[in-house]
Amino acid sequence: MFEIDYAETGEIICSGRLDAAQSARAEAFLGRLDASHTLDFERLEYISSAGLAILLKTQKRLSGSGAAIKIINVNKHIYDIFRYSGFNAIFEIETL
Amino acid sequence: MGQQTFKRSIDSVADIYRFSEDIMTAAEIDESVRFPIHLAMEELFVNLVSYNPGARQTIVIDVQVANKGVVVTIIDHDAAEFDVTRERPVDTGASLRERKPGGLGLHLIQHMVDTLEYDYRDGRSKIRFSKEPETHDV
Repeated sequence: MFEIDYAETGEIICSGRLDAAQSARAEAFLGRLDASHTLDFERLEYISSAGLAILLKTQKRLSGSGAAIKIINVNKHIYDIFRYSGFNAIFEIETL
Repeated sequence: MGQQTFKRSIDSVADIYRFSEDIMTAAEIDESVRFPIHLAMEELFVNLVSYNPGARQTIVIDVQVANKGVVVTIIDHDAAEFDVTRERPVDTGASLRERKPGGLGLHLIQHMVDTLEYDYRDGRSKIRFSKEPETHDV
């Protein structure tokens, strides 16, 4: 199960598993962003290449208007995926 | 340890996760093994489904655990030939402007599992991969 929603603080909370079957839900939410935002991954357990593609697509779109996604509270396993993908160079990332 | 067949649908990803997670949890497999195993299973299954949309047969997944490591075999009797062990370079150092979404799945698998084997003959593909626990010097 994957959930994505705003916290009261304005950050975007992602939780569960962002796999190929759930990537459409992430894309529908992130596709509406039109300004810089912080994604909190503290409760995100897993991400696959389908989720990475949505993040990259969103970052590319936002960069056109000078905005960007920042990702915080990334667990070790997801950070490994970001590192192998080179995402640590194109996203501002904070680990847990 | 177990074997199960799965419908050729992206929606099967959740069932594959539960099937393999139950086996690995019961065997007390470490998260450092479970995470790459789940990743490789999803990426390879999604590839089989996505790149051969006309196929109808179910896909067999077998999970074996031994010495805290895991070996997975994926058999597709209705497969198109696609060697998952062939290196598919991704320019991970490219700028955001140059990067294109997609193409990371096999790149990640090839970095994260310990072994990856592929066999294809007469429309049947067999993919086997394994992961052992990370070792740390003391």
